[in-house]
Amino acid sequence: MTKLEIKDLHVKVKAEPEHPEILRGINLTINTGEIHALMGPNGNGKSTLAETIMGNPAYLVTQGDILIDGESILDKAVDERARLGLFLGMQYPAEINGVTNAEFIRAAINARRPKDDQIPIMQFIKQLDATMDQLKMPEDMADRYLNQGFSGGEKKRNEILQLMMIKPHFAMLDEIDSGLDIDALRIVAEGVNSMRGKEFGTMIITHYQRLLNYIVPDFVHILKDGEIIETGGAELAKELEKTGYEHLKVGDANA
Amino acid sequence: MPETLTLPNAPKIPLRRYLKQTKDDALVAPATVDAPSTVVVDHPDSVVMPATNDFEKWLNAKPQSVTTINIPAGFSDQTPIKLTGPVDGGGLVHITIGENANVVFQERWTSTGSMLGIAVAIDIAAGATVNWLAYDAFKADTVLLQRTVNMAANTTLNLTVAGFSQNSGASLLTTNLNGDGAEATINVGVLAAGKQHLGYATAVTNFGRKTVGHINQRGVITDKAHLVFNGIGHIVEGARGSDAQQENRVLMLSEHARGDANPILLIDENDVTAGHAASASRVDQRQLYYLMSRGVSAVVAKRMVIRGFLEAGLGEIRDADLKQELFDAIDETLVNADA
Ligand SMILES: Nc1ncnc2c1ncn2[C@@H]1O[C@H](COP(=O)(O)OP(=O)(O)O)[C@@H](O)[C@H]1O
Ligand SMILES: [Mg+2]
Repeated sequence: MTKLEIKDLHVKVKAEPEHPEILRGINLTINTGEIHALMGPNGNGKSTLAETIMGNPAYLVTQGDILIDGESILDKAVDERARLGLFLGMQYPAEINGVTNAEFIRAAINARRPKDDQIPIMQFIKQLDATMDQLKMPEDMADRYLNQGFSGGEKKRNEILQLMMIKPHFAMLDEIDSGLDIDALRIVAEGVNSMRGKEFGTMIITHYQRLLNYIVPDFVHILKDGEIIETGGAELAKELEKTGYEHLKVGDANA
Repeated sequence: MPETLTLPNAPKIPLRRYLKQTKDDALVAPATVDAPSTVVVDHPDSVVMPATNDFEKWLNAKPQSVTTINIPAGFSDQTPIKLTGPVDGGGLVHITIGENANVVFQERWTSTGSMLGIAVAIDIAAGATVNWLAYDAFKADTVLLQRTVNMAANTTLNLTVAGFSQNSGASLLTTNLNGDGAEATINVGVLAAGKQHLGYATAVTNFGRKTVGHINQRGVITDKAHLVFNGIGHIVEGARGSDAQQENRVLMLSEHARGDANPILLIDENDVTAGHAASASRVDQRQLYYLMSRGVSAVVAKRMVIRGFLEAGLGEIRDADLKQELFDAIDETLVNADA
């Protein structure tokens, strides 16, 4: 898996078919090895784009396509897309009682491996310990129920833990910086940076430029009112920091 | 049966209708008990059981297999004492646990029959600590079952009921915190499938001062099954410094599954703490989506959510083999329900 292509993507919320499209013709190509940042005011469709790529059944693609290495994934369910190599660090991760973090991550890893070649438990534990250590997560978080009672920052860190354990080819990280103080932000950014390489591409969704000081993107896209209105390099984010989103084209900036 | 029956407090459980049926009346071999020799097991012709209402009288009606178990004061052994119910009938079981004993107990019921009555009474003397597991896996058509626990001062009870039966009927579990400082945690985990109609009334009454009663019920319902959970917490006047908490939750997996969770909290004393929570819900699609977004299949994701849900009811089970057996039973039921 080396190329993720979004072509003329139009998306509606399935439960609200009368409501206008939230995404109105998105075009975007992400290759492994690249880091993209997706920025823009709140409520303009950033999460919708990430969720639709991942395969959230709440969204309906009304036009366009999503392709991996030239092949459409629109008819694939979310778990299939995940096993193909997509990952979404969610803005609002669900809480699941009674399922421990460790148990879940192991199941996720094993879902990618053949039935007769599941990850040996000791190897898994070693890897989990090392990764949690790297993210400065307390040991007991492995045995806590998945996101249950986690603070906002703990949830974000936990998303990155899953990312680093699962090692996908394409990761979309939706506002992983929200709820993190500057130390936590640095730790999380280091985690993401450790994933960088020829086999890994990522789309970092953020509202603020701050995160991009730590994870320097190759491309920055501005999403406004369901369209990508501008694309540039890392300097575009810096510029936005100074000028804000207001001057960018028309559109309903309700940030 | 008389027209006007006196019945225990068990809302939404059709006890009146059940009691019109006659109990299987063949005298069967009594329960078997696996215990160290210091524990006295007997099968007398009769035994004094609670008989304050017509439901209890129905349970006590002869012919009836009778088992008494006497665990001496100071007994201390972490190896479970095991009781296995009659293979083809119900009966009465009366257990006394002596002062300061430390006991681990397992009941297991897989009885067949058409209409079974089972009554288990447990008297716990002062200072005793009891870890109790009741594994109900009845194969009978209908079972009416009552467990009554009387706890003296400074006793501790940790009771789990694993309800994995095929029958319809009622399960009443009454815990009386009679002595000061008695503490009971009652966990109930139930899997209801097929056309089962099951009602649970799980009651804890705080009589003594500084007593603690916690009820935790979790039920998963598939197919056309119907499950009712009543949680009844009662703090009587004078039980100062007591605590009554309860949580009753049912998860419905199929369109025709029906679930009810009724918390009932009666508080007749001021200086106490109490709380309750209840819910009847379906599998949360957001949870499934989240789990699946990491690559696990829909089936595995659903099982994880369900097991996780039941964990709160069955989590205290320490017997790893039994826990595995329960999880296997869950998986098997879900596979059948998925098909
Ligand atoms: N599941 C949903 N149900 C209803 N409205 C939604 C849903 N998801 C997104 N929207 C709407 O779509 C618009 C874009 O939301 P979102 O993609 O979350 O924006 P962003 O991530 O840029 O803040 C908002 O108006 C939002 O209310
Ligand atoms: Mg968003």
